[in-house]
Amino acid sequence: MMRLSRRKFLDTTARAAAIGTALGCSPAGMAMAQGSPDTKLRIFSNAQAKTYAAWCNILAIGAAEAGVALFVDKYLADAYPASLLLTRYLQNPPFAPFYLTGIAGIDQESRKRFSKPFLDLVEADQNSIVHAAATSATVAWTDPNPNFFYFISRSDAVDVVYGTVEGFGNLDVPYLEHIRPDHPW
Amino acid sequence: MQTIQENPVEVLVLGSGFAGSTMTAHLAAAGFDVLTLEAGPERKLQDMLSSQIWARRLKWGGPPVVEKGDLTGAAGFGMGWGTGGAALHWYANWYRFHQNDFRERTLYGKGLDWPIEYEDLRPYYDRAQNYVGVSGDLAQDPWSPPAADYPMPALPELAQSRAIKKGFDALGLRSAPNPVAINSQRYQDRTGCLLDGWCDAGCPIGALANPLVLQWPNALSAGAELKHNAYATRVTTAPSGKKATGVEYRDAAGDLHIQPAQIVIIACHTIWNSRLLLLSANGAHPDGLANGSGKVGRHFMSHPIVTIYGLFDQETEPYRGILGANILSQENYDDKQPAKGVFGSRSFQGGQASKPNDLLGWALARPDLYGQALDDYLRTARRHFGNMTVLCEETSVPENRIELDTTKTDAFGLPAAKVTNNIPKENAARLDLAKTEGLKIFQAADTSDVWASPRNPEHMLGGTLMGSDPNRSVTNSYGQTHEVDNLFIAGASLFPTSGAVNPTGTLTALVLRSADYIQKNRAALLR
Repeated sequence: MMRLSRRKFLDTTARAAAIGTALGCSPAGMAMAQGSPDTKLRIFSNAQAKTYAAWCNILAIGAAEAGVALFVDKYLADAYPASLLLTRYLQNPPFAPFYLTGIAGIDQESRKRFSKPFLDLVEADQNSIVHAAATSATVAWTDPNPNFFYFISRSDAVDVVYGTVEGFGNLDVPYLEHIRPDHPW
Repeated sequence: MQTIQENPVEVLVLGSGFAGSTMTAHLAAAGFDVLTLEAGPERKLQDMLSSQIWARRLKWGGPPVVEKGDLTGAAGFGMGWGTGGAALHWYANWYRFHQNDFRERTLYGKGLDWPIEYEDLRPYYDRAQNYVGVSGDLAQDPWSPPAADYPMPALPELAQSRAIKKGFDALGLRSAPNPVAINSQRYQDRTGCLLDGWCDAGCPIGALANPLVLQWPNALSAGAELKHNAYATRVTTAPSGKKATGVEYRDAAGDLHIQPAQIVIIACHTIWNSRLLLLSANGAHPDGLANGSGKVGRHFMSHPIVTIYGLFDQETEPYRGILGANILSQENYDDKQPAKGVFGSRSFQGGQASKPNDLLGWALARPDLYGQALDDYLRTARRHFGNMTVLCEETSVPENRIELDTTKTDAFGLPAAKVTNNIPKENAARLDLAKTEGLKIFQAADTSDVWASPRNPEHMLGGTLMGSDPNRSVTNSYGQTHEVDNLFIAGASLFPTSGAVNPTGTLTALVLRSADYIQKNRAALLR
């Protein structure tokens, strides 16, 4: 097989863009389509966003700082076909009730076990609740299925920490892009 | 909302994915006046961002699918939405069904027979691989049925495949380069693959055969028209019910369009082919269009799979390569009854590139890990991860089906699709056996850790079966419905059996055969 040099690759990409133009697309359209991360919550309350961020930060270290709550909030608010959330593979929309009920479930479990909301727990106790969800051992939280909520929220956390250009770089994984996204999500 | 009467066309194709676009390109080239309707939005090459996160926009974004049973969950991940459909994010694994896949009822008393045999389809497989551009090495493939050489040499064996191959070799099992619809070198003005591992985010350079670089440029230059955001809600017929008159569809504003056509071809992907026929019930077809047999929606199938994972001693560069397989083994594929109570073929598809995130990524391969343990694992996986899909067969049974579900509706109040799929016991036993084999293969390679995923479904097949008997099938072998002469179906929904291989090579061969038939019968069909 003929391996292409990076120079050749760039030529190829330019050709691909030319084909796209022939099909009626434009670079400006691409930039608009990608949008940019929003910083204003539209679905979550501040408290819900903080709880979700803290939960996800245990699942993937750095998720809170990487904006996991904003990521999820943005794509719960946007139209379903444009959603970038992995949950779209596994359940029908709307997705907001799943997340809102799940966040309530985290606090429900926290209050049952420790008589405090999740955000007020020490890290070891927060970990114990994550562990309970991961092993289907919650005592108060039943809806949505805590193990499934763990699976989906863990994916959200992994997306923002490890699935971006920056995340690849932190893992020392070559990005090897054809078209690099302008924004992480 | 308005009702808009459109100008008639000769051929109306519903769906712009691999089946629909291939059909459109070939009929337009043959001189037909062809219009294709795509329910989703326009997709462009620039939409194919190298990101597992952004790539999710290419996946299903249409009406809900209600799924029931123990082998479901493929719909949201497997289907597409917009130009090119699922073929914008497919992995390009390219296979032929084996001879015995076509004759399971006769040979084993299981499932169904096809109305054609391998030799009937062989020339179309040969044409299809040249049209699409397939890389492979037939000389190294001891399992392929008789076939023409692939038009391109195989992709190179990558580090991950070399690591996995040790396991096959240690157990005395043969393996071969996996055939894929990806260019190993420049082919028909499309470039060779860079092996960057972003196939399911779309391939903007066009090395992977996808409708934006292959079928649509061909079709549009031949005069075909493609409309987006055109959501078909009903195929209409003459009062006799024996002739389709066209299609009703809704645009993005909700306006109703009446589109007359002399030939209608439904190519909307498996679930939606059946749903549209069921939605099109009328006085002459009270149980759904072309459903006098009661078979529309019946015999739904998927491929039961498990994924074998391993951490190899040697470096595997798992982020490089293609998302389809790089190494294949079909040892004993043709032995569909390897043990008592076990039925079906199986394929091993190894060395698939992957990234840290998304459904097939390194992180979700170990869903039990989180926090520091997850980070530690990922830093090992980035250098030593390997995977292999163990793909098995699901026998065609009538109980597995697609129906309308009035408890959920689309934006226009029409019933959603409901899919029920339960894996037959003998197929579940086959998968268990194959999983054990797969684990042994990885254990025989130099690995420090080997594990397997839970059972999952892959691909969606059946529901509008082809067959010889109008009382037991929906279409003939050309996809022409038994009851409505000018109504055709295209896609894997026609398959009477699933085999244990990915379906796109076979569905493309069937499309070419149907297109030839339509061309040869042009005068009668356009009457």
